Amino acid sequence: MNVTKQNIDDLLILIIVDKDANLTKSENFKEIVFKEIESGSTKIIISFEHVEYLDSSFLGALVAILKKLVALQGKLTLIELNNDIRNLFELTRLDKIFDLKNSLDTAVEGFK
Amino acid sequence: MNRIILLVDDDIFQLRLFEKLLTSNGYNCKIALSVDEAESILQSETPDLIVSDYEMPGKDGFEFRRRLLEQDAFKNIPFLFLTSINDKENVQQGLDLKAIDYIAKNTPPSHILSKIDNLLQAVREHYERSLSEIKGIAERLNLRNIPKNAPVLKNFQIDYFNQSFQNQPGGDFIDFIQVNDRYTFIILGDVMGKKWGAWFFSFSFLSYIRSAIRLCVFDENYSLSQILNKLNRVVHADELLSDIFSTLGIVLLDDETGSVKYAGAGDLPVLKFEEHSEELHYFKSDGILLGFSEFGDYSEMDIEIKEGEELYMISDGMIDFEINGEKKSDINLFKEKLFNFKKNKETTLTIKNRLFDKHASQVDDCSIIIIKKV
Repeated sequence: MNVTKQNIDDLLILIIVDKDANLTKSENFKEIVFKEIESGSTKIIISFEHVEYLDSSFLGALVAILKKLVALQGKLTLIELNNDIRNLFELTRLDKIFDLKNSLDTAVEGFK
Repeated sequence: MNRIILLVDDDIFQLRLFEKLLTSNGYNCKIALSVDEAESILQSETPDLIVSDYEMPGKDGFEFRRRLLEQDAFKNIPFLFLTSINDKENVQQGLDLKAIDYIAKNTPPSHILSKIDNLLQAVREHYERSLSEIKGIAERLNLRNIPKNAPVLKNFQIDYFNQSFQNQPGGDFIDFIQVNDRYTFIILGDVMGKKWGAWFFSFSFLSYIRSAIRLCVFDENYSLSQILNKLNRVVHADELLSDIFSTLGIVLLDDETGSVKYAGAGDLPVLKFEEHSEELHYFKSDGILLGFSEFGDYSEMDIEIKEGEELYMISDGMIDFEINGEKKSDINLFKEKLFNFKKNKETTLTIKNRLFDKHASQVDDCSIIIIKKV
């Protein structure tokens, strides 16, 4: 899974570079983020700017990451989801459990 | 589906030559001029075969192979060397690294192609044999997450269809629980994930769902809201399922009064066809995925349905499409297709055939349950 990382103070920003977020990458992605959480990152923003399609395996990985962060009183924000993916979140009530923001700036604001 | 071959060679001329040979014979090639480039491609593509040169600047083919063997995700991808360094020692070293073959570059192209064809055919046959054995065992153990038949009721006709992804059992599960002559529960769930991993966990969810329904019914409790809330708490408490999530839709049919109740957890809306309507209606449940939090707050709703009208419960695979190589999830596209089939008075079987066959390319398990009031 191609993921680039950057930090703004104690915020970890992960940008998914692949356009397909699917089964073959979900486990690897979960491991990458779990390692970051175990290293102390509990405020995480994940950017879907490049992602065109997300399957249910990858959604499952995201939910597992969120559940782990919530248990640690951490926070996860997902940004720059395309319309199809955002609709899928809304249709399946995932928008009730995930913090979805349009841009990095608004997401960073939300952590203040 | 074209099989993908990753070609790795620092000689661009050789790469293009083999790429042409393989693509003109139906393969889809990814090319890399170095091991680093190949490893970058592997982050986003899982090829069916890797063909690598030995002598390359930076990391050589042997080092590439050693690095792949250290990673679970890559160590089982069939690998062969295609190189001009062919002394006995190198050939042996390459084969010792679990390469399937070590081919000299001056081998006639037709021979190289035949070797690759035969190799991939053998891999495919081995895979099919293993799959068939596991399926046979599951069948003998009566492990079934899709039932053989739907119950026959007085006031409702139930049809259902499921198509697994790449011919492997998956995370979609269906069940019909006819608790007495009056009440039948219809279950459609989808464990997040695909293939065997999701399939395995579908039985854990199914067991909990069956138990929750039976236990509530023993107490004359037919409240879908309470069933889902109890079920969610049990799933949430199960450590084995702490990382596994499932959607669930439950419809309760009352065959005496003809009424329908519905509740759901992270499932897609139930769709409804009415004769004089301009589109399919939909009913969205309010519950979140099973097991995410201890208290999910699931409520139920009544769905009014008249004679001749139909309800559709669907899994997310039904709304996933691949059009011109682009994948997307689009419930409106699905609704439109289904509505047009109904408007054109297509039979249920025709609708099923067209919905499943017309997917440009299936990208997940697909399930649909059709409930018709008769």
